[in-house]
Amino acid sequence: MSQQILKVRPTKIELIRLKRRIKVARRLHKVLKDRLIILSQELISLIKEGAELRQTIHERLRKCETLLADTSLLASPLMVRSYSEGRIRKAEVVIGTRVVAGVRVPVTDLEVEPGELRPEPYPLTLQEAGKCYGGLMKDVLRLAEIEASILLIGKEVSRVRRRVNALENILIPRIEATIKYLTMKFEEREREDKTRMKKVKQLLERRGK
Amino acid sequence: MSEGAGEDQILHYFLRDELRVINSSLPRKRKTLEELLKEEIPYVLTHDGGSHMFRKSELVLAKKTLGDEARNLNLPILLEFLPTEKETVAETSDPVAIKLIAKLLGIPEVKPLRLYPTHLKELRSKIGTLIIYLLSPKTVSSL
Repeated sequence: MSQQILKVRPTKIELIRLKRRIKVARRLHKVLKDRLIILSQELISLIKEGAELRQTIHERLRKCETLLADTSLLASPLMVRSYSEGRIRKAEVVIGTRVVAGVRVPVTDLEVEPGELRPEPYPLTLQEAGKCYGGLMKDVLRLAEIEASILLIGKEVSRVRRRVNALENILIPRIEATIKYLTMKFEEREREDKTRMKKVKQLLERRGK
Repeated sequence: MSEGAGEDQILHYFLRDELRVINSSLPRKRKTLEELLKEEIPYVLTHDGGSHMFRKSELVLAKKTLGDEARNLNLPILLEFLPTEKETVAETSDPVAIKLIAKLLGIPEVKPLRLYPTHLKELRSKIGTLIIYLLSPKTVSSL
């Protein structure tokens, strides 16, 4: 495919300007590409982790519900309620942000303070159900963090990729083609000058004779 | 005026913008691992006015890996992109950070430590909140 060239005056100054411009374009392209690699890697690993975590949560939720259903045979709803209220004294969700190659993404942390509940009077299945739901809380929070990060990083990846593609496929080849065109033009002009000089020399020599 | 005259300005603008985007999230002041472990919510303030939070489990992992030297580790660890190289490379010169990264990745300790995309991927999965990328304007201008 023939590359479109820029409309520039065929002067040496313009050629120097274009050479400077291509240097900046290549520099920008490298910076953007490095960032794109880091962001893409992060995005892929987050997507994988998110998919695995979602599956784990579904499986765990099924297990927890089965355990809770089994408990209903051994414990009254009041007992289940008092156990769930006493098991954890305080649960705090800390939400902050971290930065991944210029993109601010959320970070979550769950801090759980166990309650002073004696587990002995409660059935074992109820205790297991409690533990199961406790683990689930952490996973759900992590999944929320991952999904929000995927959205933010994905948006940035598409923005950076657009710029990289524009540089790679349009701007840099266009400048390169223009530089090539100007260089060829100057060479042609030089050749023309040389031939003209030769002709003039021959003419002068003939006149001299 | 030639067609591409405005392109120069646009390219410079984009380059400046990239530098700004990456470097605006640099910390105003770094904290030591010891300080951060004492805090209820470990974080540092960044130049753009935001904050960068550390995951406690990652801080504990760093302390466990470094042992006594943990008190000298300044966080976040700054990894500088090297756009001068053909491949994607990040570099760090902090000796304590080098020790931690080398131990976590199982690679030899060299100063400066160069990290390639495979290393960075592993590092992010282990201590993702402890690292921050930076792009030096000096390196970019020397390209």
